[in-house]
Amino acid sequence: MRNMTNATSENVTVLRCVDCGQLDSGPRDLCPKCFGKLEPHSVAGTGKLVSWTMIRRPPIAFRAEGAYAVALVKLDAGCQITGRLANPDDNATPGRSVIATGHKDTVTTFSIV
Amino acid sequence: MRDVVITGIGSTAFAKHEGRSIESLAVEAGNAAIKRSGLERHEIGAVYLGNFVAGPLLGQEVLAGIIADELGIGLVPCTKVEGACASGGIAFRHAVLAVQTGQCDAALVIGAEKMTHATGAQVTSALNCAMDNRSDGPSGLTFPGLFGLTWRVHAAKYGTTRDEVSAVVIKNKANGLKNPLAQMGANLTNDIIRQSAMIADPLQLYDCCPVSDGAAALVVVAADRAKGSADLPIRVRAAIQTRGPARLAGNEDLVSYPATRRAAQLAYEAAGISAKNVHLAEIHDCFSMAEVVHSEDLGLVPRGMGAKWAVEGRTSVGGSIPINASGGLLSKGHPIGATGVGQLFEVITQLRGTHTNQVKGASIGLTQNVGGAGVAVTVSILERSDA
Repeated sequence: MRNMTNATSENVTVLRCVDCGQLDSGPRDLCPKCFGKLEPHSVAGTGKLVSWTMIRRPPIAFRAEGAYAVALVKLDAGCQITGRLANPDDNATPGRSVIATGHKDTVTTFSIV
Repeated sequence: MRDVVITGIGSTAFAKHEGRSIESLAVEAGNAAIKRSGLERHEIGAVYLGNFVAGPLLGQEVLAGIIADELGIGLVPCTKVEGACASGGIAFRHAVLAVQTGQCDAALVIGAEKMTHATGAQVTSALNCAMDNRSDGPSGLTFPGLFGLTWRVHAAKYGTTRDEVSAVVIKNKANGLKNPLAQMGANLTNDIIRQSAMIADPLQLYDCCPVSDGAAALVVVAADRAKGSADLPIRVRAAIQTRGPARLAGNEDLVSYPATRRAAQLAYEAAGISAKNVHLAEIHDCFSMAEVVHSEDLGLVPRGMGAKWAVEGRTSVGGSIPINASGGLLSKGHPIGATGVGQLFEVITQLRGTHTNQVKGASIGLTQNVGGAGVAVTVSILERSDA
């Protein structure tokens, strides 16, 4: 339980199709469903952990950070998003609830709750 | 369309070729393949060369024309093909198409890569060109990381354990000891694998293929023009290429690749066979967990059983469906652009009955080559021409 967060969830900006309402974590230019126009759209940063891994051999651009955890999250809003996981541990199994707790540039950081 | 066969083949060892250029490796493999084919150089009507990172790691492009010039090929179309780790498999498919459709009677396929001169971080960065760098790249994801993510889902869904996955590593590393072209065969144990460095949890060092240099080549010929071949012609029953989601978030299921499932379906249809008819397979085991999920997507192993079948010896040479008898990428190494052509080289040698780790009586073989996070996949099916 030591890694649990008391933080509240931030919203996450994804893309929403102005024509059919399809959500996508992007970036992309066309709606993947109807090829309509996509606009930024704010959704709740709550979701479920699909999976995560600890990157211990980062590419050059991330070497200064040391090891960090990358996660795939299925947002409750309906789309999947690749982000970081702030508090990974052995209990961080697929299906655990997560919330967005921050951002690093364009990448959302999630925490297990 | 015309029947197509493979005649001449050539391959360098996949190894750390210190002091050797990518051109030298490609010329060695290409020259060997042409000689064995019995064709004159002017009879080769096209060259397709698979390569991925000669641009970022060597500052060299237009390799297809450079190599063709050294090999004395005529003034014919010479094309470099790029599809990340599937570059070699895609080059092969293009050559097959060119000959099938009568664009030419013979085409040369070469796969080549030179990587070991670069640092680990340079290689990781170059390989990350195979990601969608608008989304996955900024997160800091790597390819070992992709299969770390896959592993956790496979474990949760099917109860797959560390030691079960190690059975894949132990099998391929042991097979590699019997293959003189392999860079890093080894006798491993569960303990040695468990004690190796963590790379992208739960993925460890021995779950990863080595960075490598090497080249492989094949001559693809119209079946009625193969008469001068020194070796038994091998029929191309299917050479299929598909695409899948480029982004991690585009995958509905991390333990199954739509591009592989579709390519397998099309390849079995084209060959008029099912997975049960395949006698051996060379599968894209860039990581141990990759062999697990790909073998399931190809229908060679039941869903969820990719690692468990390795434990039971069913995917060993002598098992019901030998997978990566060559040692696979885990043992041979993964000179990116050469890998897909190297897989075909291994299956052809098996079908001719002359492999150093021979699968007895093999007459139909399959290769699967995967690029990026499944953004490009090829599945090819080959058969002895006298079968």
